[in-house]
Amino acid sequence: MRGKADARSLAARLGAGPWPVYCTLILALLVPLSTNQYTQFIVNLILVYVVVAVGFNIVIGNLGQLAFTSTTCFGIGAYTTAILMVHVSLPFWVALPGGAIMGAIAGVLASATALRGIRVYYLAIITLALGELMRWVYIHADTLTRGTDGLAVPVANFFGFPFDSEIKRYYLFLAIAVAVVKSTSNLLRSRIGRAIAAIRDNELATASLGIATGQYIIAAFVWSGFVVGIAGGMFALLIGRVAPESFDLTELIFHFAMVMVGGLGSLAGSVLGAITLTALPEFFRSLPGLEEMLFGVLVAVVLLFRPKGLASFFAAFLPPFRQRFCRPDS
Amino acid sequence: MTQLLEIDDLSVQFAGLKALTAVSLHARSGEVKAVIGPNGAGKTTLFNVITGYTQPSSGRIRFRGEEISREPPHLISQRGIRRTFQNGGLFGDITVLENVLCGLHTRTGSGFFGLLFGTRGATAAEREAVARARSLLDMMGIRDVEDRVARDLSGGQQRIVEITRAIASDPSLLLLDEPAVGLTPPARDQLVEVIRRLAGERGVGVLLVEHSIDMVMKGSDLIVVLNGGQRIAEGKPDEIRQNKEVLDAYLGYGSGYSGDSRA
Repeated sequence: MRGKADARSLAARLGAGPWPVYCTLILALLVPLSTNQYTQFIVNLILVYVVVAVGFNIVIGNLGQLAFTSTTCFGIGAYTTAILMVHVSLPFWVALPGGAIMGAIAGVLASATALRGIRVYYLAIITLALGELMRWVYIHADTLTRGTDGLAVPVANFFGFPFDSEIKRYYLFLAIAVAVVKSTSNLLRSRIGRAIAAIRDNELATASLGIATGQYIIAAFVWSGFVVGIAGGMFALLIGRVAPESFDLTELIFHFAMVMVGGLGSLAGSVLGAITLTALPEFFRSLPGLEEMLFGVLVAVVLLFRPKGLASFFAAFLPPFRQRFCRPDS
Repeated sequence: MTQLLEIDDLSVQFAGLKALTAVSLHARSGEVKAVIGPNGAGKTTLFNVITGYTQPSSGRIRFRGEEISREPPHLISQRGIRRTFQNGGLFGDITVLENVLCGLHTRTGSGFFGLLFGTRGATAAEREAVARARSLLDMMGIRDVEDRVARDLSGGQQRIVEITRAIASDPSLLLLDEPAVGLTPPARDQLVEVIRRLAGERGVGVLLVEHSIDMVMKGSDLIVVLNGGQRIAEGKPDEIRQNKEVLDAYLGYGSGYSGDSRA
């Protein structure tokens, strides 16, 4: 009898919880059953971009600052991870957090410009320039980065267990992506996420509530840089080679498109945008020459009909897709 | 009634324009003081100086005996001075509940890592804040709109939400900048009652900038009249009603004072 009551309360809790999240997780665990080596690589790439979009969206969408820091943090995360593994022979589970921390530091530096009241167009152009400057650094610091040849990254190894196949990397990446999404969700649905959203909506009024706005602007840049830095490390492990051309303006436009198509300021949107924009071009491969055009058309169509992104489309009938900044039911 | 705010000889100058000239004003707990005056009299400037958004050119502002005129807005707010904004200071893209929770920010004591990992203590603090925000929404009679995105509310409801957010953390001094704009007469009466209750039961000191004469006469204990950046009178509503200078400067033009005219 006791067990029955427990089962019912468990069912009730699951029912009240974000069930699309649970369904997605279970399906995600089963994905390798239906892939070959190539499609599994694409799925892994999707996970990398889920992490990129989640991180980038914090600054672009939640804080509402036009700071194009993502390729900077992505590149720094990738290079730091690769350099620590190649030149310092550190294992990946030390090198990857190292990349994340360097990404966070890059985020702090970018936030310094936002804090000085340099906003919108100025912040955009400064961060774009910073990204291009970093590409110059990757090319010219060739003793560390091997310049335009790129730096080959060894296979990740966890105490003798090598992540040497796409399926093994998939489960590693899935764990990282879930941890990133969950912790970001925790942050967004707390006083920190609220303060960041409040600054976006009305910075003066935010300060009138005793909220130290500068502190939260920095926090948003730090967490964004940290997360995108993690994605950089994942990217280095997945591709096996880190090269400057991976972090150019085209890459930045791709990051921006993921966030816009998914939905500014929406965590679910980041995930949807990354899946859509990473997976769909694969279906266009059979139409060589049209790929870029179809990609552009897709982005334009979504933004024309759903300016708030794919997440807003689902949020209309699936409440868990709506971004909350509190926990009203707990 | 303890003395909360003491403003002495306050002047504010913007590039040659004198917004406030040697204004003195005191605010006590449990007292509603209206600040009235024609457009451009310096009312909003006065609020901006008190709350740290504008720097005074000279003069001093003390709160509970301490000088606050060089402090940034968030520190002044943390001392217990909260305000609303003339053009609406709501966070439009988040819900009513989330807006009020922002008002409880400084009272929701949990740190970055606790929130990041969703520790039990951090979650409990968040839950407590939600419960408190809901009881405030109940008290103000707007609990039914807690899940609505703030920008979708009517102007009147937005005002009420902003006031709810401002009083969430029990401020000792509340500055309301034209809270009755967009309110229907019954809603305005309700607002007067809320302000009266805040002052009477909780001992909040209230400074009220308002154009609705009706509301000022019903809602305030004392009235300060500004004109051209200077204080021209202070007194009880009845005294102000009969003050010649005030009538000339402020109420006098047009058809004169009538019950609920809006100057």
